[in-house]
Parts: sequence; C-alpha cells; structure tokens
Amino acid sequence: MRRHTRPLERAVVFAVVWWVVAEADPEGWVFGIPFVGLATVASLKLTPTRSWRIRPAGALRYAWYFVHQSVMGGIDVALRAIKPSMPIDPMIFRYRMRLVPEHARVLFADTVSLLPGTLSTGFEGDSMTLHVLDRELPVEQSLRDVERRVADLFGLTLSAEGGNLLACENITGGECR
Amino acid sequence: MKVVLVGFASVLMLTVIAGLIRVERGPNPADRMLAAQLFGTTGVAILLLLAEAMEIPALRDVALVFALLAAMAAVAFVKRAWHPGPHEKGESS
Amino acid sequence: MTEWISLALIAVGAFFFLAGSTGVLRFPDVYTRLHALTKADNLGLGFVVLGLALRADSVVVVLKMLLIWALVIVAGATASHLVAEAARTSNVAPWRKRS
Repeated sequence: MRRHTRPLERAVVFAVVWWVVAEADPEGWVFGIPFVGLATVASLKLTPTRSWRIRPAGALRYAWYFVHQSVMGGIDVALRAIKPSMPIDPMIFRYRMRLVPEHARVLFADTVSLLPGTLSTGFEGDSMTLHVLDRELPVEQSLRDVERRVADLFGLTLSAEGGNLLACENITGGECR
Repeated sequence: MKVVLVGFASVLMLTVIAGLIRVERGPNPADRMLAAQLFGTTGVAILLLLAEAMEIPALRDVALVFALLAAMAAVAFVKRAWHPGPHEKGESS
Repeated sequence: MTEWISLALIAVGAFFFLAGSTGVLRFPDVYTRLHALTKADNLGLGFVVLGLALRADSVVVVLKMLLIWALVIVAGATASHLVAEAARTSNVAPWRKRS
C-alpha cells in the first residue's frame, strides 16, 4: 500500500482551519502562521505516514448519503419519542464486517450510530455489535449499504465474507452469543 | 427579531433542564454521561444562537470549545470515572 | 423572506431538540436514550446552524459554524459508541419489549 507524508498538504489544511476559526481576521495570522507550522511539525512527528487516502468523488457521494441518512435517522427517532404509543422494540445484533482497515471500521461505526434506529455498541473481533431501536427495520441492508459507501470513500474493496447480521438473544458480559 | 433568537435559546435551555431530570433520576451511571452529551450538543446550539442575537462573535469560540470538551469528557468518563461494580444490574421495567 | 426561512429552520431545529429530550425522558434504558440524544440533537443543531447561516455576515462565519457542527457530530457519535460499549461490558441489560 502506498504511504503518504505530504507536509505541504497538512500545512494547508491547518491553515484553512485557522482561517475559519479566526473568522478571517488578518491580525490572527501573527499567531496563526507560527501555530500552523507547529501543528504541521507535531502532526508529522505523531503520524509520520498514513496508509489511507480519501477519494474526492467517493467523499462527495458519502457526504450526500450521510446527510440524507442522518436526517432520516433524526426524524425516525424524534417521531418514536413523541408518539404517545412510543413504538420501539429494541434488539442487540452482531454484524460481521466486510471492511478490514481500522480507520474504515471506525467511520463505519460512527456512521451507523447516526442512521435510523441503529447505534454501534462495540467491536468483537471482525464483528460490530449494535443496538437497534426496532427489530423490524431493514438493518442488514442498511449496514451493507454503509459499508459499500465507506469502501467507496477510501477506495477499498470489501472482503467476500461477512456482511451478515445475527440477533443476540443472550447477552452476558457484553458478549453476544 | 433578536428577541426571537433569544426566545429560541431559552426553549433549548428548557430542553436541557428536561434532560437533566433524567440525569438526576437515572438509575445507571451511564445515564449521567448523557448529561455531557446533552450540554455538548444543546449548549453549542444555544451559544451559536446567542452569538448571533447579542452580536458577540466570541461566543462562537465558546461553542467550539464546548464541542471539543464534550468529546474529552466522554472519553475521560468511560476510561476513568466509571467503575461499575461486578454486580451492577441493568434497569428493569 | 430570508429572515422567515431562517427562523423556520431554527424552529425546526428546536423541535428536534425537544423531541430528543422527550426521548431521553421517556425511553426505557440508556441505549434507547443514546439513540434519542445522538440522532435528534445532532439534527437539531444542523437545522439551527442552517438557520443562522442564512443571516451570517460572511462566508467564513458559516464555515466556522459548519466546522463546529462537524465536531459535534464526530464527538457525539464517538461518545455514544463509548458509553454504549461501557454499558454493555458492565452488563447493563437492554430493555426488551414484553410480547
């Protein structure tokens, strides 16, 4: 896998963040320039190489999907909370992930927590456990969908195994059996 | 119109108070952690509204710090502050 | 006109905050409450930011609010994952519907 260092790229990102945080105040650069430099040095020391990259087109598709799904997720949970009947039927599931790299799994878990009715509750080996608000929701399909989008974002291929969902009937010690 | 924005900020303040009732009642330590999340998200919204209504841009910086602190608080809580006993029971209802 | 759209968006945001707190009060266990907080409040903040963006003086202020929103989303998703995981590993039983 190709490794990336790219000090200039990092410095540009930090400079943009500074510009935004300082609300484009030109006087801010008196502090901004030294701190952008320091942040770049610190970031190169702490994470000298990174093995992942983001594909711009995949990022756009992911962002659109994410915004759309988190709106649906918010509406779904809001309605369940305010309806007098409070229609929830929760269940813990375990999903065998097809994404392998750790950074992809973290983004996957964070995305799942903002989707309608799903909340990631930890990793167990190659699986992620999740809490689902209503067991009738099409959880397996949404999870497979998120994985595909995350793979598209990072330019990864999904492993052939996994992608299946198991209901956890007995929960002891945080493990799903 | 500034008054309306302050009004919305007050409504959000009420939702924080409502959430705090749960934190107060919450039988489980994890319910207390919800307080940090609540203050994180709703606090940020209140500060952004007040920054606009009262024309104090610095409040946006306070909101930024709130957002960062909420993340730190959650990690610190889970890793250090919460020592659940071996027989801790879940909520029953 | 912009003024009214802005206020409407902020009102929608306030609705989601209200619904989120309702969920935190009504839902039966910590997992379901985390659903309410993470999802409803993040969306509420999103609408408030959109509403305020329409009345912002400059683009950079809009970008700053979007940056704050993004931070809150990442922090919220991470925090809810950690809290739920801590609850699971210490045997906090999830609430189950009686059938």
